[in-house]
Amino acid sequence: MSSAAALPEVRREQAAALFRARGIPTRRVEAWKYSDLKTALGETGPDQMNEVSAAWSLAALPPGVESFDLSQGHIPDWALPHTGNNAMGAASLAFARSGVALRVSGAVTEPLRLNLAQSGHLRAVLVLEDGASATLIENAEAAAWRNAGFDIVLGENARLDHVRLSPRAPDAVLVEEFFVLVGSNAQYHAHFTDFGARLSRTELQIALQGEGALAELSGVSVLGDGAHADVTTHVTHAVPNTQSTQLFKYVANGKSRGVYQGKVTVAHGADGSDSRQTAKGLVLGERAEIDLKPELEILADDVKCAHGAAVGDLDAESLFYLRTRGIPESQARAMLMRAFLGDAIDKVEAEDVRATVRQAVEKALEGLA
Amino acid sequence: MLEIKNLHVAIGGKEILKGLTLSVGAGEVHAIMGPNGSGKSTLSYVLAGRAGYEITQGSIVYNGEDLAALAPEERAAKGVFLAMQYPVEIPGVTTMTFLKTALNAQRRARGEAEIDAIGVLKSVRKKAAALNVSEEMLKRALNVGFSGGEKKRLEILQMALFEPKLAILDETDSGLDIDALRLVAEGVNALRDPKRAMLVITHYQRLLEYIVPDRIHVLFAGRIIKEGGKELALELEAKGYEQIIKDAA
Repeated sequence: MSSAAALPEVRREQAAALFRARGIPTRRVEAWKYSDLKTALGETGPDQMNEVSAAWSLAALPPGVESFDLSQGHIPDWALPHTGNNAMGAASLAFARSGVALRVSGAVTEPLRLNLAQSGHLRAVLVLEDGASATLIENAEAAAWRNAGFDIVLGENARLDHVRLSPRAPDAVLVEEFFVLVGSNAQYHAHFTDFGARLSRTELQIALQGEGALAELSGVSVLGDGAHADVTTHVTHAVPNTQSTQLFKYVANGKSRGVYQGKVTVAHGADGSDSRQTAKGLVLGERAEIDLKPELEILADDVKCAHGAAVGDLDAESLFYLRTRGIPESQARAMLMRAFLGDAIDKVEAEDVRATVRQAVEKALEGLA
Repeated sequence: MLEIKNLHVAIGGKEILKGLTLSVGAGEVHAIMGPNGSGKSTLSYVLAGRAGYEITQGSIVYNGEDLAALAPEERAAKGVFLAMQYPVEIPGVTTMTFLKTALNAQRRARGEAEIDAIGVLKSVRKKAAALNVSEEMLKRALNVGFSGGEKKRLEILQMALFEPKLAILDETDSGLDIDALRLVAEGVNALRDPKRAMLVITHYQRLLEYIVPDRIHVLFAGRIIKEGGKELALELEAKGYEQIIKDAA
């Protein structure tokens, strides 16, 4: 966590300087190699983006949750935002004049439903105090462009279930960045659905910084013609006995692109770290592309780290088998795609939320047929 | 019901079936026997409509219709069923969901009303018990982690559920011990029906002790080289394929 002494204004200025220095990322920046943000934004340059703020709304505030509008002054200590360490994170911190800070104490069962809308920068802070638990359902509406930066801080024994739903938005450029600090024995479970935008980037920077901390990340991207979806993660096992799992699945049809770049760092001395990364893609057309890039950086000795990535087409044998049983080809294909995505969707624990995700995926799959 | 005339089939330009002629009527059970590489599996796949099996000559007429012109799913809806030698494992699709989807897809294609989940479940349960297919198997992903015997039993359960007009059993005995074989054979025999034709494809005579055919055809090098009644199986058992092939030459 950053020092409470730093004033938001100072940090905003630092962030603005960082953004000015780095500019909007192009493909020449390694981390943005598969997602050319500058080209996707077209006419919208840094100057047009400076003072634009996106909109947020909360469906309701369940008991146990405190909310603060970041467009107001005198940001409370618990909500002092953390500095983003890359260009777009810095930009949202520097230029967002809108945003929300939420603080959760205790076990909150009713989900927090956060809606993001309109073009612009936006900042969100979510703090779960020690022992607190909550479910965040984030609905990201389409907009010409949006750059949202989240700071999520999980105290000891806290648990957050985070599900992000986004529509198919062929004309949108949507960037979301999550900076997540996970404390001792705290758990961050996150699932990201993505149905593709002109450019969609979901970036997760996660620090497991207390013993027993866990991050379980999963996601499903179903991409039709013209769609792009990029999930970039960096999980750092900063202390011993922490655990992370990642399971991301992509289905790409038409001219589309799915990207997974996942880096896991196990810091010096972080023995007993356990990390698993799996990314798989189904490429359904000749013009579709899926780039999977898992990466490990291990600086400790006694760790368990596994990663796997595979891209393929639907299995011809399976397709034939289903068809000989009377299932028409398009239905058989959809069945196999659904089966392919199933284990990633099943990571969503809450049954009703899982049903919502499944329904959205079904609809997207129908759009592919 | 099934009229195959002078059938030539090539895979990747290589001719496997070289003028096969066969006629199976309703209510009849025919066995195709042959050594490895004689074209048995090619015949079963070409009847089911697998891609890459090119008919270069001849015809397959099923109930007066050109079977080759139909997609695999259309053949299924019209009553053609292939019990496969190697049923495919499909992770992520539960067996019960698969059975329901397949049954209703066939019914829909025939313009029949679909059956709801409970109706399908009842029907499946009744038939599953006789084949020793457990409730637990129905909940598992299709064929995933099933033993050889379980896979074959599930194929026969599908046959019982779909009630095909023409059932083709490709090496249904392979990989089965004697108890499993008996169970599967009983399942098949229970489905013998004056309106149903069956084509039992096998390497060994053993299966035909349990599923007694009306006619036996010996397939070698893509052609039927000998035909006869059920006693032909015993002759094959006694003489072996080599001698039969020599005799026929």
